[in-house]
Formats: sequence, C-alpha cells, structure tokens
Amino acid sequence: MTFLNPIGLLALIAVPLIVLIYILRNKFNEQTIPSTYLWELSEKFFKRRNPLSGLTGIISLILQILTVTMIALAIARPVFVIPESAGEYCFVLDGSGSMNMKDGSETRYERAKDEIEDVINGAKGGSTFTLINLASEASVTYERITDKKVAKDMLDDLQCSDGTVAYSDALSVAQKYYDDNRSFLVYLFTDKNVNSHENIEIVNVGLQNEDNFAINNVASVFMGGELSVSADIVSYSSDKEIEVELYVDGGKTAAARESVSASAGAPARVEFTHKTDAYESFRVVIKNRDALMADNEFISYNHKNETSYSVLIVSDTPFFFEAALDVLTDAKVDVISPDKYKNDEGYGLYIFESFTPETLPDSAVWLVNSSKNVDDSGFGARGVVELDAPCEIIMSASTSTSAQELLHGISGKDIMISEYVKYSGMYTKFTTLFSVGLNPLIFAGTNGLGNREVVIGFDIHKSDFALSTDYVALLGNLLKYSCPDITPSAAYVCGEDARINITAQVNNVKATAPDGEEIYIDTSADVAAFTLDKVGTYTVEYTLSGEKKITKIYSSAPSEESAPESGLESFALTGDREYEMTDGEFDPIVIILIILALAVCADWMVYCYEKYQLR
Amino acid sequence: MKRIAIDEAFLGELELLETVLKNNIAGSFGGNRRSRTFGSSSEFADYRDYVPGDDITKIDWNAYMRFEKLYQKLYYDERRMHTRIYIDASRSMDHSEEDEKATEAIKIAAAFAYLSVAEMDKVSIFAIHGGELTEVIADVSGKDSYLNCIDKLNSVEFYGDARISDAIVPSKVGRGDGISVIISDFLTDENYEAAIDRLCEQKRDVICLQVLSREELNPQIRGKMHLFDSENASRYFRKKIDKDVVLAYKEALKYSTDRIRLFCESRGANYLLVPAYAPMADLFFGRLTDLEVIK
Repeated sequence: MTFLNPIGLLALIAVPLIVLIYILRNKFNEQTIPSTYLWELSEKFFKRRNPLSGLTGIISLILQILTVTMIALAIARPVFVIPESAGEYCFVLDGSGSMNMKDGSETRYERAKDEIEDVINGAKGGSTFTLINLASEASVTYERITDKKVAKDMLDDLQCSDGTVAYSDALSVAQKYYDDNRSFLVYLFTDKNVNSHENIEIVNVGLQNEDNFAINNVASVFMGGELSVSADIVSYSSDKEIEVELYVDGGKTAAARESVSASAGAPARVEFTHKTDAYESFRVVIKNRDALMADNEFISYNHKNETSYSVLIVSDTPFFFEAALDVLTDAKVDVISPDKYKNDEGYGLYIFESFTPETLPDSAVWLVNSSKNVDDSGFGARGVVELDAPCEIIMSASTSTSAQELLHGISGKDIMISEYVKYSGMYTKFTTLFSVGLNPLIFAGTNGLGNREVVIGFDIHKSDFALSTDYVALLGNLLKYSCPDITPSAAYVCGEDARINITAQVNNVKATAPDGEEIYIDTSADVAAFTLDKVGTYTVEYTLSGEKKITKIYSSAPSEESAPESGLESFALTGDREYEMTDGEFDPIVIILIILALAVCADWMVYCYEKYQLR
Repeated sequence: MKRIAIDEAFLGELELLETVLKNNIAGSFGGNRRSRTFGSSSEFADYRDYVPGDDITKIDWNAYMRFEKLYQKLYYDERRMHTRIYIDASRSMDHSEEDEKATEAIKIAAAFAYLSVAEMDKVSIFAIHGGELTEVIADVSGKDSYLNCIDKLNSVEFYGDARISDAIVPSKVGRGDGISVIISDFLTDENYEAAIDRLCEQKRDVICLQVLSREELNPQIRGKMHLFDSENASRYFRKKIDKDVVLAYKEALKYSTDRIRLFCESRGANYLLVPAYAPMADLFFGRLTDLEVIK
C-alpha cells in the first residue's frame, strides 16, 4: 500500500486529542441533593430498555476516531497494488460524419462516448487509457493516462466531424501501440460493419436503421436569365415521398418546390428552374426530417474572381501576347515599347518581352527572353545560346501539384526553338515546365519580392511555340497562376482541403467555420489550404491590396457518410496477441468516503439518541 | 431566615374552616368541640326519663304539663382539643435556597395551628431533630397567644437527620384529644411507621403531609452525576442519568408515596402528597377539604 499524499496522515494526531477530550468530558459532575433515597431506590426499578444506550459514550468515541481516521485516509489517499489486474486500453473513436446520425435520442457519437466511459469506469485502477480520435486525420487525444476522470473529461470535449475519416491512419497508430505491447486492448467504436477486425474489439454503435435522406450531385446552369438546378435525392432506408425546395439568394420563401418519390437506395432526380437576372447563391433543401440533417442541404455560391487586374506588355513585338490575352481574359491590356517603360505602376501583371527592366515591379511578372540579370528575379542569366539546328524543348514529367496544374491540358510536343537564354543559379523555388538539355526554359515560381514570376527563356518569334496548340493553353495556365482566384472553388466536400491562392497583394486571410471556429491562414506560401471538417458555409475574409474582401465556400456532406449502414472492409492489427496484465491499483477513496459519511451520520444519530435519552 | 409572614386575609378565610375529628372523645373541658357524650353546654341534645337524683333544674316542665311525666333535658358536652404538629426539621427539608420544602412545611404548620386556635383548641408545634422533639410552640390557645408566639416558627433550624418514630413514640402524644399532623418529606425507609401506629393507638386523628420539591417530583438533572445525600455525606448515587434512569426514579417515587399512603390508610390515618410549590389556598380549600380532613 502506498499513499499519494502521505502528509495527510498528520490528521491522525487528532485521534489522541479526541481520546483526551473524551476522558476530560467524561468526568462525573458532583452535586449534593436533599436526599439520595429515591435515587437509590430507583436502582430496584431500573431497566435498560436499549442495551446500547449505556454505551453511547464509547460508541460516540469510536465513531469519532473512525471519522478522523477516514478523513486522514481521504487526504492521504492510500492506494493498494493488485498484481496483474490492470489492462492497457486503446480506444479508436470513429468521428466520421455518419456518427452524427441520431439513433433514437442520442447520436452514435454520443453513444460511442458513453460506451468508452463504461469501459473506463469498469477498468481496474492502474489501467492506462489511450484515445485515438478519428477525424479527417487520426490524432492521439491522450496516451497511456491512468486518471479516469481526466480521460473522461477529455473524451467529453471531443467533437464529431462531418466528413470522412482516415481509418488507415488510425489503424497504423493503433498498430504502433500494439507492437509496443501485444496485450494492448484495442477497441474501435464505430457505426460501420467491419468485416475483418483481428485483435480489435469492435463496438458497433449503429444500432438502428433510421431513415436518412441526402442530396447528391447538385448541378446548375445559369443561362439566358434562367437558373436551372438539378440534384439526386436519395432515401437510404425506405421508399419515401420527399419534399425538396430551392431557395435563391438567401430568400426566406422557396423559389421552387418539388415532391420526389424516392425508392430505397436509388437516387431520384429533381430539377428546378428559376428566372432571375443574376444570383449570388442558391440552396437546395430536403424538408423531411431524418436521422442526419447535415446531408439534407446543399448551398452553391456563384463564385466570382475577386482579383481584378490589368496587364502591361512591355515589348516592341507584342502581337503574340496581345492575341493570346485577348482570348484568355477580359482584363485591360496596355502595351508600351521598352524605351517608354518608366517603372509604371498599377498593373497586376507585367510582361517583359525581350527586355529586362532595371528593377522588378511589385506585381506578378513574366520575363520573356530576358537575357540580363535583374535583382530579386531569383535566377541568373548566362547569355544566349544559339543552336546549330532547331531543337525540341522537353516538357517536365514532374508529378508535383504545381507542375501538374501548370501543365494541365498541355501535350508539350513538337515545340521547336533555334536559340535560348541559359539560366542558372536559381536561388528561389521554381517549378520547371520545359527545358532543353539540363537548362530550364520555361519555369514559374516566386521571386525575391514575393511575387509570382514566370520565365520563358527564348524568343517566341524564333520558335514555333506561338503556332502550336499548346500556346494558348499554356499561357492560360500561366495567367491563372500569375493572377489566380483567391478562392478557386466555392464547392467542396467535407473532409477536403480548401485552397487559398496567396499573392503578394493578399494578406490577413482568415476563414470562419460554420460553428464559428476561426482559422487563420498562413500566407507565406503560394497556396494555403485548410481542412473543411464541418458541413456548412465557410466564410473566408482577406485583404486584397488593402481592400477587405469576403467570399464564401460551401462544404457539403460526403455521400459515403449518408448511408445509415455502411461497411468497412478491414480494421485489424497484425501480430499475435498476448494476455499479460499489468499491476493494477485499487484506490479505496470511494469506500473511505462512504465509511466517513456513515461514521458522521452514525455519530450524529448517537448524539441525537443521547440527547433524546437525556431530555 | 423569615419564612412566614402573617397573611390576615388568608387567616380570615381559614376561620371559615374547621378540622374534622373522628376520635373526639377526650380533651379538657371548656373547649369548642362537641363531644359524643352529654355534658353541660348550652346546646340542647335530647330528652330522657327523669331518675331520682337527677338535677332538677334540668327537668322540662313544659313537657311535664303536656305529658304529665318528668323528662330530663340533655345537653351536649364540649371539649377543648389539643392539636400537635410535628415538623421534620432535617437537612433534606431545607437543602438549598431553591428548596421550598421547609418554608412550605412551616406555612402548613402555621395554618393548621391557626385553624385550631380559631376552634378554641390548644396547639403545640414540635421540630424533629434526630430522634428528639424540640418544642417550638407549647399549649397555645387563643388567637392573641397564637399571634404572639407564631413568629417562633421562623427560628426553626433544619439540620441533621430526623428519625420520626424515635422522636414521637416516647413523647407525650395525648389520647383522643385532637389531631396530630406530621409534615415531612418522608424520604426514608420506615422510620415513620411506629410513630403513626403510636398516634393511632392513642386515638389521635393523624394527618401525614409529604412535602416534596419540584426537583424531587420531576427531576431535571441529566448526564453523568455523582449525587451526595445532604444528610449523610457517606451516602451517594453515581450514575449517568438518562431517560431510563429518570423513568426508574419516577417508579421509585410512586412506589415510595404509595407505600406511605397505603400504610396510612391501613391505620386510618390521612395522607397527602403536597408539592412544595403548591399555593396554601389550594391545599386548604381544595385538597384537604376534598380529603375531608377539614370542612
């Protein structure tokens, strides 16, 4: 036996004090009375009705000593070691969107928490508890803690996500614990039917098969002053008549309403049309109530590029760029010859063709056939290389996200050049798109001023690039890269990462989740992302060139979480199980407190009885 | 310590009462008590036939004229009784200032004495100390004498013990000539029985008044007590006094009072338990009247 707080035993000093007080208090009071005759005579008639009543004093003393002893023990907190009685528990809590489904009065997630609490309460003292919270990514909420209260409190604080979850991540974390100790008791609390779960105890909390409806595959077309919206409506459990409504621009009354007969498990198509000159958003809603409300709504925001920009082409021969920009953008395009360029300001994109400015402007910049060095460009020019014969440039095979995006729709074949500028000494991160030999020829990245920069290292007039099918497509990609939408998409599925394109003009980016949680976005990289783990509208706020902008994106419920009963192929741990228990602890504080309460009550009752006897 | 003060209004009221005597056969001449024998008082009682030698002044000549036969008129005899009052003057009667027993005993004695002198009887009051009688008032008759000497009751001292039988039995108690009043707490085993027997044998009308204090009738002391007897320090009672002990005490009190009462009834004596805090008027105009000791 050990004591958590041995100093509490000092309270036992009170025991001899109580005995001393008892002895001092227990003296007979002397008194002279007229005659003791009747008192002596009373001995003949004396009958003790309650045999204990004569012992009330000593009983009271015993109870008071017991009370003080229990108080001392309650402070000192004795703990008994019970050999091989405790286990090591690892709980994997499924926080996927379907766990929000209400089976009866509580959600599956709440029921799973209750089940975990039951296991914790039933575990022997000294057991350790590890909780892996399974959300968009698996995270260890606590690891091998022994304090049941802390374990339960931290469990209570957990929130279920609305999206899909990474079971494989959780499994690998659990496997790590299992590898450390093959006696680890791993539980998975989920609503999924798990086919294979070796070495894992599955606690299925999806007890009932409640009705659930969902909106999937929402599509819209706005043309000729008419908004057309279509969606698939699914009733997962039974055939149902489902009421679906369309709301436009946050209106309180439905713009259109349809009733759909949905067969169990089969999508039923619903279509709406609504006449309007313009719209900012529409919302499709299922009016029927069901077990999971998150998938009964879909909102689409009519996304507009908040980035308004103009282009300055500094070139003596701007024809090819003017023609391409005319096709690719509505932006204002100005053209000046290099000798008239005086560090003009106010443009979103500068295209310098066969000209190198003395300083780079504080905006996105394209340097085309730039043969001179310029500060902050991020690279060095090593002179023009004339080729003996035309040479085909080679497209990058990189699988990086940025390369894939910039080369989207590009075949990269049959582009021939006769000369190029050799670049080297790149000291900032560039993505190479095309190269000749080992020399990068077309590359994009961020320059020393933090602005997006595209470098084309040859004269397009001395190549067939402008005549190729890739020309306009590549310039389109480069234009999107240089002057990107801050929020390129307004529609995501919960669990996905929302992208924020960061340019030099974008600052103070903050997203607000549907539940009010504020997410501050790191703007140090070109592209920032944050995970959408809630269903609903996220509001993104940022400043663009000092002007405050707000845009909204919608995170919809993942369709795979909508089915009330769904399966999981495998969630199993590898390795042979061992059954070794660890030494457990028994903390008798509850028993001590009960004895303490009983002793206090009993002492009080004895006191009352004594007073009753002496009345 | 002055225990009594003459309350003239109360004494005036007492004059309305008189003691009832059962054994009024003796006594001295000249009193106000009508005897069961015929005598020389002025109160007519009956006739009887004249016998030669009778006092011819008592022949009823009117009856002779009507019946032509001589009848002798008979008159009641009137005697003076001697009331003897015995006060238990032990320490137990006057243990503390709160103890009202001594005061109550003296007040009762004074009231009985007045009642007697008002009926032209003689009164003697005795204090019992140990086994002896101490005469406080001797052979007082007449209200003036009573008023002159009643103050002596205030000088009675209460100390030691009182053995009632040892004191009364050897004393001159009279015979058939009045009432004997014993005022005591009777907190003793049997030392009163011989005295009552002796008084009853002497045709005295015996009245035993047991005076007990409030605490003795309904004890309030509780807890662990070591009680010493005021008359005898070697006697003590040591116990934790609780509800059960108090119940036993009350049974003991009932047993004790019943024993005295039954003993008195068996001897034709009167017994009354008198709470020391009871008003005198209630005692004399209520309980003693109900007991037909006085009327």
